[in-house]
Amino acid sequence: MISVKKKICLLGSFAVGKTSLVDRFVHNRFEEKYLTTVGVKISQKLLPPVEEPRKGQLIQHTFLIWDIAGLEKFDRVAMNYFRGAAGALAVADLTIPETIDRLHEFCEKFLSVSPQALLLILGNKVDLFQNDEKTLSKLVKTARFFSSQYLLTSAKTGQQVEKAFETLSKKLGSTYE
Amino acid sequence: MNESLTRLLACKKMGAIAFDERFNISYIDRYAEKIILSLCESAFEENVLSIFPEFVGSEEIINKVLLGKKKEYRLDYINRVDAAGAARYIHLLVLPHEQSGHGLLVIEDASEQGQAVQQANQQRYELFLLKHDDAFRKKRLHESIIGKSQAIKEVREIIQKLRGAPTATVLIIGETGTGKSHTARVIHKSSMPAEAPFVEINCAALPEHLIESELFGYEKGAFTHAIAAKPGLLEEAHGGTVFLDEIGELPPSMQSKLLAALETKTFRRLGSNTLLEVNARLITATNRDLQNAVREKTFREDLYYRLNVVSLTLPPLREMGSDILLLADHFLKIFNVELKKQVKGLSAETRQVLLNHAWRGNVRELGNCLERAMIFIESDYIQASDLALFERDSPGLQKWTVPPGGILLDDVERQLILSALQQTANNKSKAARLLGLSRDTLRYRLEKYGLD
Repeated sequence: MISVKKKICLLGSFAVGKTSLVDRFVHNRFEEKYLTTVGVKISQKLLPPVEEPRKGQLIQHTFLIWDIAGLEKFDRVAMNYFRGAAGALAVADLTIPETIDRLHEFCEKFLSVSPQALLLILGNKVDLFQNDEKTLSKLVKTARFFSSQYLLTSAKTGQQVEKAFETLSKKLGSTYE
Repeated sequence: MNESLTRLLACKKMGAIAFDERFNISYIDRYAEKIILSLCESAFEENVLSIFPEFVGSEEIINKVLLGKKKEYRLDYINRVDAAGAARYIHLLVLPHEQSGHGLLVIEDASEQGQAVQQANQQRYELFLLKHDDAFRKKRLHESIIGKSQAIKEVREIIQKLRGAPTATVLIIGETGTGKSHTARVIHKSSMPAEAPFVEINCAALPEHLIESELFGYEKGAFTHAIAAKPGLLEEAHGGTVFLDEIGELPPSMQSKLLAALETKTFRRLGSNTLLEVNARLITATNRDLQNAVREKTFREDLYYRLNVVSLTLPPLREMGSDILLLADHFLKIFNVELKKQVKGLSAETRQVLLNHAWRGNVRELGNCLERAMIFIESDYIQASDLALFERDSPGLQKWTVPPGGILLDDVERQLILSALQQTANNKSKAARLLGLSRDTLRYRLEKYGLD
């Protein structure tokens, strides 16, 4: 089995639930009170092994998860947070459609410094979501635009949170060279 | 590394590490070692990537810096937690080392800066939520009832529970100046939609002959001066809250009419036969002992029970212990903003004086006392002598004896009101504060004595 460390970034506007998603995935906990993140907070998590399709080798990823503050401007130093990433979870808050609009900017900036990285779009706070079709279609369009998959998650209930990270791990495993 | 440079870096809360192209550490200065030891849970590592996994994935770009192909590589505000569980922030900067193929990592402890940025962002976010998120706003409102004493905790708990009962009638009991009106507003705002009306009526401030027309409204021609129809305050409160302050002063003739309106949730405007429905929460407040008033038959028993569905007692300030200091600090922040001052706090002696004072005017008196101190203060800390509490206490009751020839109480009251207005350059709010009255009550008395 091959062990590989990969840098994974969480992107998105402030208060969409990036830190909560990491907390749920890494520590299986949820904190009701929101604390704004400044800079970047790194967590590590070992993922279940995935099979690389061509040679059938097992690959075990350790994700170095970069929980990045909801940036308002993308200066050179901020762009360094995105460098060298193998993948990213781009997170929007389903209850605030504007956060989906802002995903375009986050994803474009991210891909400009890490063009080979894989993207997965997450519509978070699905537990509060009223199934508004317009919002959902906006999320689907954004995912299509970046040729990415999307998932609806809830850091509060844990819905699809592990699946999000495991999906990224599988995708990375399938592109292993 | 050069000793002077090491010292300079330490002065700036920075440390330095030299490392080779495999990221193995070849040199570490004392300050860098100190920062790392305070942040790392495990034993000291000899590889930069083990200490700072933040560099994993960026090895290629860092190697470019080592080879002089790139000027620098930096990461700001890396979050860590120290052994005590406190949030710490560091900046990392990689520069080419003088020894070819090696790098110099400068670590800066930016915890103070990071915490300040975090607090500022947090406040910005909470302000955003207060403006845009109704649920968050309602949740936070009860926190404006300041204090840690058991009595205040109970008040906050009742307010929280009332959020789920937006139609329950509430009776607020408390001495003058304990914050009954503020509490009523908090109950209203925390359980009603933002646009719901809040109509406040001071039963003591309205002359008896006006109360009925003000409460229920009137039709054109209902009485001599009714030249146009006017909706009453109850009607205006529809879908919201009607707050009847000083309910104990409601004239007996009005008590039965109010009871009927409460029982049936309907009423008629003066001069109208049409029944109007009203759907509003009723909050009443009094500083009187209503049970005693019921015994003395000055307040209707059936109305008392109708009003006393949920009762909430606000403690007098003198019984709130160290909450007095929390309130004083709160007022200090407010008046610093309002008066554009930068007073840092209260001296130890002042704090003790505040704790010892009787506070007959309760929170209102405390607020007024600190406002006055803040207006005149020129130093960083409020001293006991700035409070002028002793002056307020000194006019003892013996100085207010009635002369042998007798006195007209109304004349005394009129003179005192005039004096208060003179002292405050006709500012009615300030004059009301000086007299320990609400603005409405002062306005009523000004009308009564023809001073308006």
